[in-house]
Amino acid sequence: MDFNLQEDSPEMTEFRKEVRAWMEENMKGSEHLRWSASWSTRENEEEYSFRRGLGEKLGKKGWLFPMFPEEYGGAGLSVNHQFVLETELSRYGLNLTHVFYTLARIVAPVLIHWGTEEQKLEFLPPIARGEIVVWQVLTEPQSGSDVANCQTKAIRDGDDYIVNGQKVMVGHHLPPDALWALVCTDPDGKRHENLSWLHIPANLPGITIQHMHLMMGIKNAVFFDNVRVPAKYLIGGENNGWKVANTHLELEHGGDGRVGTDPVVDRVVEYCRNHEVGGKPLIDDPHVRDIIGDMILEINTVNRMNRRIFWHRFVKEPHAYGGAQFRYYQRMVRLRNGERLQKIMGADALIPDHGVHEVLDFEYVIRSGPGQLHGGGTLDTDRLIFARRAGIGRQTKEKAPDTV
Amino acid sequence: MDLRLTEDQEMFKKVAADFVQAEAPTTMLTQQFLKKETFLPDLYAKIAGLGWLGMLMPEQYGGAGLSYLDCGVVFEELGRAPVPGPVFSSGVLAAQMVHDGGSDAQKQELLPAICGGEAIVIPAIGDHGAHWGPETVATTCSQSGDTLTLQGTKRHVYDAEGATAFLCAVRGGDGGVSVVLVDRNAPGVTVTPHNGFMVSVSEVSFDGVEVPAGNLIGAAGAGWALFDQAAERAIPILCAYKVGACQEIYEFTVRYTNERRAFGQLIGRFQRVQDHCVELSIHMDRARMATYETLWELDEGMPAEAGIHESKAAASEGYHQACSYSHMVHAGPGTDYLHPLMVHSVLAHTLYQYLGTPDYHKRRMVDALYPGA
Repeated sequence: MDFNLQEDSPEMTEFRKEVRAWMEENMKGSEHLRWSASWSTRENEEEYSFRRGLGEKLGKKGWLFPMFPEEYGGAGLSVNHQFVLETELSRYGLNLTHVFYTLARIVAPVLIHWGTEEQKLEFLPPIARGEIVVWQVLTEPQSGSDVANCQTKAIRDGDDYIVNGQKVMVGHHLPPDALWALVCTDPDGKRHENLSWLHIPANLPGITIQHMHLMMGIKNAVFFDNVRVPAKYLIGGENNGWKVANTHLELEHGGDGRVGTDPVVDRVVEYCRNHEVGGKPLIDDPHVRDIIGDMILEINTVNRMNRRIFWHRFVKEPHAYGGAQFRYYQRMVRLRNGERLQKIMGADALIPDHGVHEVLDFEYVIRSGPGQLHGGGTLDTDRLIFARRAGIGRQTKEKAPDTV
Repeated sequence: MDLRLTEDQEMFKKVAADFVQAEAPTTMLTQQFLKKETFLPDLYAKIAGLGWLGMLMPEQYGGAGLSYLDCGVVFEELGRAPVPGPVFSSGVLAAQMVHDGGSDAQKQELLPAICGGEAIVIPAIGDHGAHWGPETVATTCSQSGDTLTLQGTKRHVYDAEGATAFLCAVRGGDGGVSVVLVDRNAPGVTVTPHNGFMVSVSEVSFDGVEVPAGNLIGAAGAGWALFDQAAERAIPILCAYKVGACQEIYEFTVRYTNERRAFGQLIGRFQRVQDHCVELSIHMDRARMATYETLWELDEGMPAEAGIHESKAAASEGYHQACSYSHMVHAGPGTDYLHPLMVHSVLAHTLYQYLGTPDYHKRRMVDALYPGA
């Protein structure tokens, strides 16, 4: 066994030097924007443009999806290069798949698996190079965790599909370039055999996007009113959408892994060193230290689960239940940490601190605790998937799909 | 990063797994645990024969000179049974204490005997049940000429039953803690096995026991530091044993969800039963991941203090919780002493206390990372 993420062969040592120097150069002046989250809840324009810019620069070198072939916008590199890139980015609290606020991290690997050659050549390069923003649009008013209950219809009409329906709780505060949508292509068909995926340019007539103000920040409702989408934008075959969803949902349900760490404990400790009660810093309060101990144990576990999934994914032996287990645990840990922060710093923990990145902000951690319990499916779907993968109450264990 | 075992480790694992199946089958262990007869001399001799005592000790002292990961892999398999007896307490912890603190002569005399299984040396550290740490050492030691006289009672000594000698932590007249080697058969030594929801634990009394001053292991007054340093080396191996136990519990629990029917279907179809399995898996994996990373850190010579205490907290809590969740799945049948879960349940509670509770080790972890004022 080897848990070292930084030890390389001579070839990789050279590559690491190159990446490190490149990152230093490109992070210059933006060090305060170092942490990455799946989305920003602050609509921080400076951060948004910086991250879009960094994504594009990485994408231009093929480094956003380094293992993709060059013709698809990648760099045709090895898994070792991927490790180097991820670990170097993690020095800045960033990671490749979250670097620029889009769902490319999920959409691109699905396209690689399920797209036709023509589709891959058309759609992948701009996504993989970070040039465009893609949102996944799955959730509907009547289909959250039960994503197969999709009511948005896409009915074939000549060379187009005509799309009608509504998606909710998607995207972020700025408009997308493309929508990656689950649609119902056979309204009379059997459940799971009536779905398809459409890659929809977001500027087509009939698409309306409206902000929704949610606990976690701004999300959107997307309305489709007789939107004509070219039929060649259907990915993975008509009514084959549930199979495509398998790859998609594995990535959404924790199967992607990452090598970074959650910085919140360090900030808690810093706070506790700098705040005194009765002349004694909080960090010397045994009760506070016990709470910090619990946080460390759980956050370390989250980090290790993440690394384990990442490793299994990239050596192409995907961990059967790791993704679902991680996702359930990570969200519960976040919820518990919200309460722990309140125990340590009292009402201070409920005031946003705009002097730090939101990933480090106690208020954000607390507010997003309950808010992120259900994104991409509830805790209950995670545990259901776990049961299938681990073979609880069933003789066969469902395998995790390959997502690299 | 590589999460695979080496070929040698896969082989160690297989040999240990085969041994467990052949020599310590569940049917036998449930009987032994029910009778509270967990020191099995024949089994211990076979383990010695396989070279699993003193695996971490240098070959010059009769050890195997293996890595922490190698040793951990074997102990994980032993934990699956769980194989009882002082394989850890004598073969890892006491061996480490003698290795770290003993004089050359003491090492030459004791270590080969520990590794060969002829000597079973058991650490007897704290005097009390509640709490853990140097302040729990209360047994006194007074010196007169070349003779030390010990007076006190160690309330909970793990694996004392098979002991041929104890490494007894004592408090000297100056208040310092020292470690003294005491022969099991010395007059005044009494070993009384406990009954209760624990196994392999005895009360050991030292009533005016006289030992030669040359039996001091390490410097006078440096006893807690000696014990603590050795324990930090040894604890991750104990954690691997608990990880193996969790793995075994997880597997037979999942199996049970596929066999037992209730309300006309397999119980594993019930989401609440599934939820118990999820929690069980998390406790198992968090103990496993922390433990193996720590074993690796020790092999690499990296700073491992925080990881050691984290592993102990995670593995003790994990073993305990794995049993609790398994009990939720098994309900009535899991409470039968002839069910393997009961072997684990009793042992998990015992090991939760052994060498400090999870709370104690969490505090040590925080102290290691963020030293207090």
